[in-house]
Amino acid sequence: MSPAVAQAAASSFHDPNTERHVSARSRIRAWAAIAILAVTSTAVAQPSTEPPPEPESEPVPEPVPDPDPAGDPALDAELAAALAADAAAEAKAQPPPAAPVSGSVMNPDISFIVDVAAAWFGEDEHLQTGGHDPSKNGFNLQQVEMAIGKSVDPYFRFDANIVFGAFGVEVEEAYATTLALPRSLQVRAGQFLTRFGRINPTHLHAWDFVDQPFAIGRVFGAEGNRGAGVELSWLTPLPWYAELVVSATDPVGEGTARSFFGPTELPLETPLDVQTTVALKQFAELSPDWSLLGGLSLATGPNATGHDNRTDVWGADLFVKFRPITEASTTVVSLQAEVLHRRRQVPHDLLVDTSGYAQVFWRFAARWGTAARWDFGTAADDGGADYLDPEWTEARHRASASVTFYPTEFSRLRAQGSYDMPGWRDGIWAAFLALEVSVGAHAAHKF
Amino acid sequence: MRKLLPIVPLVALAALATVAAAPPAVADVKVVATVPSLAAIAKEVGGKHVSVTAISLPTQDAHFVDAKPSLVLKLNKADALLAIGADLEIGWLPALQTQARNPRILSSGAGYLECAAHVTLRDRPAVADRAQGDVHAAGNPHFLYDPRAAAACARAIAAHFARLDGKRAKAYQANLARFLAALDGARARWEKHLAAHRGAPVITYHRSLTYLLDWLGLVEVATIEPKPGIPPTASHVAAVIDLGKAKAVKAVAQEAYYPDKTCALVARKIPAAVVRIPGGADVARGQSYIQHMDEVVNSLAAGLK
Repeated sequence: MSPAVAQAAASSFHDPNTERHVSARSRIRAWAAIAILAVTSTAVAQPSTEPPPEPESEPVPEPVPDPDPAGDPALDAELAAALAADAAAEAKAQPPPAAPVSGSVMNPDISFIVDVAAAWFGEDEHLQTGGHDPSKNGFNLQQVEMAIGKSVDPYFRFDANIVFGAFGVEVEEAYATTLALPRSLQVRAGQFLTRFGRINPTHLHAWDFVDQPFAIGRVFGAEGNRGAGVELSWLTPLPWYAELVVSATDPVGEGTARSFFGPTELPLETPLDVQTTVALKQFAELSPDWSLLGGLSLATGPNATGHDNRTDVWGADLFVKFRPITEASTTVVSLQAEVLHRRRQVPHDLLVDTSGYAQVFWRFAARWGTAARWDFGTAADDGGADYLDPEWTEARHRASASVTFYPTEFSRLRAQGSYDMPGWRDGIWAAFLALEVSVGAHAAHKF
Repeated sequence: MRKLLPIVPLVALAALATVAAAPPAVADVKVVATVPSLAAIAKEVGGKHVSVTAISLPTQDAHFVDAKPSLVLKLNKADALLAIGADLEIGWLPALQTQARNPRILSSGAGYLECAAHVTLRDRPAVADRAQGDVHAAGNPHFLYDPRAAAACARAIAAHFARLDGKRAKAYQANLARFLAALDGARARWEKHLAAHRGAPVITYHRSLTYLLDWLGLVEVATIEPKPGIPPTASHVAAVIDLGKAKAVKAVAQEAYYPDKTCALVARKIPAAVVRIPGGADVARGQSYIQHMDEVVNSLAAGLK
């Protein structure tokens, strides 16, 4: 049935003026009479504690004819025949109502998010590192993201983020999460963004800027750190929120594990060749209006210069949020900062650098927000060339500011300007105007 | 061996912390309710056998609650989760349920109760389309302003507690009977208090007072929001003011958590009284559901005078 027909069928059913409704009501009355007969003949009437049925409840299912032995068989047969004839006539006249069709409710919750941006860069060659950043002058399709989720069974839930871009389809995430492990444990398995730091596990939809902090692109790759693998997390029994996360993921991927094996498809020789990520996340509710979230992370694994050469990335993140809920207010102010300290063993040397960002977001009106961000990244301090970014010989800084208009929680329009200051070349201006819209199932957002 | 020694005090410390965090010996049923009025009703039904926490505050719009990790912790330890349902909590509760690592409070779990399933919902849209604003496909979830819906929820909660904690089923039933009797008495009082205003036109901010107005026989002639969740526009507000004048509206009502400047403006222009409806029972300060509804009814009565 086409949606339009289904809609028409459903709405006509709810319209008290149509014949359809009248005949349904008379049918309900007839069956109610039979039901009363049955109940009084078999059981003592009991006061119902159930609330009355919804007036707009789904169509009454066709009851199986069940002649009451205590009743009048002739009358029952006549009633059943009349009702069957009515039902047949109705079925001819009207398609069956739209819902519920058994099975359809088992479909996963699906939503689509579209991000498009107009961009202008002050230099022909810019240094954007995010895979979904606007990358060229003019119009950019940042992404079309399909988010899917549903319980698998009582033990697992399934989530996936599939991105349709200019160059094809990409499975960003697809994983199972356990729901019923004992001792406050939870396992995720599949392909997922590692829970390193604060911004890495999130998607563009959750960001306050059009682009990604360059630290993520520099250290992990354009897509953020992810891979096929498995993760175990434990909500500790401490009186405050303290969660410990350990994951093992594939160290390969230019856009997802660039400081590890990256684009080089080196084989795994020992189990230690996987990327291991450990994170501790702690939260304190300072007051109903003030929240503080802090994390420490470590990602470690072999790098592209050889199996014996390892990369360690140490991370610290802080998120402070002020959102008054003890009085009527639409204000939100948040501060978010992250530092990534990377140590890479290379033949006969050790490359050490630090990158990070700090940003402030202020929702100053119900539909308006503004944000400012400072990005920084030091050069790898060995004096020689960095095998990943040979030109990165001096510190780089970038300042960005954005203003966002939110018509509803399902759409946003964002203007952003930034000035990139790589120490090794001239500064780069960039201006973005981005639109995001989402349709489908209403996503639930983590803090 | 010597090198291992520092581990001993660490382990002891961890063990201490675990013991300190362990639940008290009294086997209360730990209940988490998504909104404060639901928590207040659960307290009436559960009495001394349950400990009830509300996730949101009466000053907070329950559509937009932050899924704070501290709430994950509460749900991790909960035996029961009481939700309104009808998509009121859809933007945050599922994230908390998944993170809580507690199968009891999952929507499929034995501890989960969705009250919307026990109430006749109004405002169910014929077409679920967000072009109509932030509509709830299942119906309007703001039903706790109708004491008859509150009674239906109380019955459902009593049955739920009896399933979870069968030994005290009689106690829950007795608490329920006591609460329902008190609520019936209060309802008669509230209805009498506002009986003179039946049919009076009222303007509201959001379509969240529908159940309250329908129960009391008041008529919602317009909402200041042009569509649910869409902030008022100048032209719409002007039309609402004209309508308010034409219908001689006496009260402009809104929940305390909505911005009140536009309401105040509309009320001044008509002229009418602004009625601020508390968003829920202030359970943190020990307010009961009946005391909360006393406030609601009194503020409406004051506005309609």
